[in-house]
Amino acid sequence: MEQHPRSKRPRRRPVFTFILLLAFVLAAGAFALMWRPALAPQQRAPSFDAATVQKGARLAALGTCAACHTADPARPYAGGLALATPFGTVYSTNITPDAQSGIGQWSEEAFTRALRAGVSRDGHLLYPAFPYDHYTRLRHDDIHALYAWFMTRTPLDAPARPNDMRFPFGFRPLVAFWNLLYLDQATWQPDPQQSPAWNRGAYIADALSHCGACHTPRTRLGGTDQRRYLDGGEAEGWYVPALNAHSPSPLPWTREHLASYLRTGIAPGHAVAGGPMQGVVENLRLADDQDIDALATWLHGYLQKAPAQARPAPAALRSGGLASPDAGDPDAARMRLGREVYATNCARCHEAGRTPGSGGALPLQQAIALYDPDPRSLIHIVRGGIEPPDGEPGRWMPGFGAILDDAQTAALAAYLRRYGAQQAPWPEIEDSVRKAKQP
Amino acid sequence: MTTYQLSVNGRGHSVDADPDTPLLYVLRNDLQLNGAKFGCGLGQCGACTVLVGGEAVLSCLMPVAAVGARKVRTVEGLGTADAPGRLQQAFIAEQAAQCGYCIAGMIMRAEALLARKPSPTDAEIRRHMAPNLCRCGTHMRILRAVKRAAGSPEGKA
Repeated sequence: MEQHPRSKRPRRRPVFTFILLLAFVLAAGAFALMWRPALAPQQRAPSFDAATVQKGARLAALGTCAACHTADPARPYAGGLALATPFGTVYSTNITPDAQSGIGQWSEEAFTRALRAGVSRDGHLLYPAFPYDHYTRLRHDDIHALYAWFMTRTPLDAPARPNDMRFPFGFRPLVAFWNLLYLDQATWQPDPQQSPAWNRGAYIADALSHCGACHTPRTRLGGTDQRRYLDGGEAEGWYVPALNAHSPSPLPWTREHLASYLRTGIAPGHAVAGGPMQGVVENLRLADDQDIDALATWLHGYLQKAPAQARPAPAALRSGGLASPDAGDPDAARMRLGREVYATNCARCHEAGRTPGSGGALPLQQAIALYDPDPRSLIHIVRGGIEPPDGEPGRWMPGFGAILDDAQTAALAAYLRRYGAQQAPWPEIEDSVRKAKQP
Repeated sequence: MTTYQLSVNGRGHSVDADPDTPLLYVLRNDLQLNGAKFGCGLGQCGACTVLVGGEAVLSCLMPVAAVGARKVRTVEGLGTADAPGRLQQAFIAEQAAQCGYCIAGMIMRAEALLARKPSPTDAEIRRHMAPNLCRCGTHMRILRAVKRAAGSPEGKA
């Protein structure tokens, strides 16, 4: 009787040992994948020449670092901005050279590793809300200049706010698997077929400005879907327009329009930056004009393939008011309400010729948001308006969030889509209106 | 014409108006509350700012039909010449008005901020007040006045 279990044991042992060994190998592999050493703290801040610091300032503007790392303009780069992601809310960190709460103890090696591999000085893995999957392709001299810029800022005491991640994403080592899928540390290669300006623009767009982080759709795992590069994505509940052949713009983008838009947020007679793009433009205005022109050259290469480039803009796009709903419109009641909202609220600025003194608001048949695949951005603009960045002149549009109710907002969106853009109706406009109201 | 029941500065009013009449016209012409001003009529200047349901709105853009049951507050509801409210007192103390045309709107927009955030930072005040314009150029004094009111207890300055 006693022999029975004993006689079984020798037969089990090899399987058991194998499982144990396998578990050990997997654990060791996972550990090697997830563990990164802490790098020694730096005692004294290095010094830099003024030219390097200035170069770093212009690169930081192109990298739009302040868009996330500055929550309060009075405390630049002190972090604290909340970034809502499908995996939880990440708070940007303090990247001033404060020894305790900032990056004051970071050597250039630690700074480089953070940009190239997404690893903090103490060895913990950074969340990819920080776009190191782009910064990884920065040239060494550019990283050096960025380091010089940040290490010479005023140190501010601002401890990192704890992130609010959904289970199991609070466990940072999991990011190692994301890195396996989405972090490509290959160095950036110029395209010999293209001009030097195009290549400069391509490098800035990819390695610094990380345009694709918002303008390319993301996979369910939160990586950019490279097969659909610049195909349109989302940010902060806004639709972020495609910048390639799928661009929704009804008017062709010229290189001059693009340069002006990137530099000032306004492409006269074409588009005004709204939503998350305003923060980008606020950064770009501090960049070199030459670099902005290079970005425009590169972007134009993609936007040239959009259908609007090929045909002359139809006359209806150029001028004239929006039509009244057809009597036979299948959605006639809602269209009539939308038309009424348009006539009482929008037309006095937007309908060309009615009020020449109104500062030339865009005729709405030209507004890109009407041609988006969904109504999110239009609804945000209607509700919140457009504000120029602090201290900048620009077009001001008042928000109508407190003035229009949900049914009116939805009807306006439906009417503008049909009689402004003459596009197929958006489904579920009411749902978008409800979501836009959530803080 | 439709009859609307409005609650303005704590008092009930019955007003006959076309649904698309701007709230500003009703306040000034029907209720003789002339604090809020007509500036541009296009929501570009902020002189007509009043509170509707606690939010700063441009009353030249808001049709009276859109007010509904929300309570309206104008500068007259904050205090009188003899007993000015804390923002009014702070604007006097900082001598923030030159011609004064924009001031009622400025005060009401500031009131919306202080009700929501009693101690705003300088940057928050700047950002919040951005929609309202002053053509005399007293913006710096206006910002100081809002700061002063924010630092004072409710009701006093």
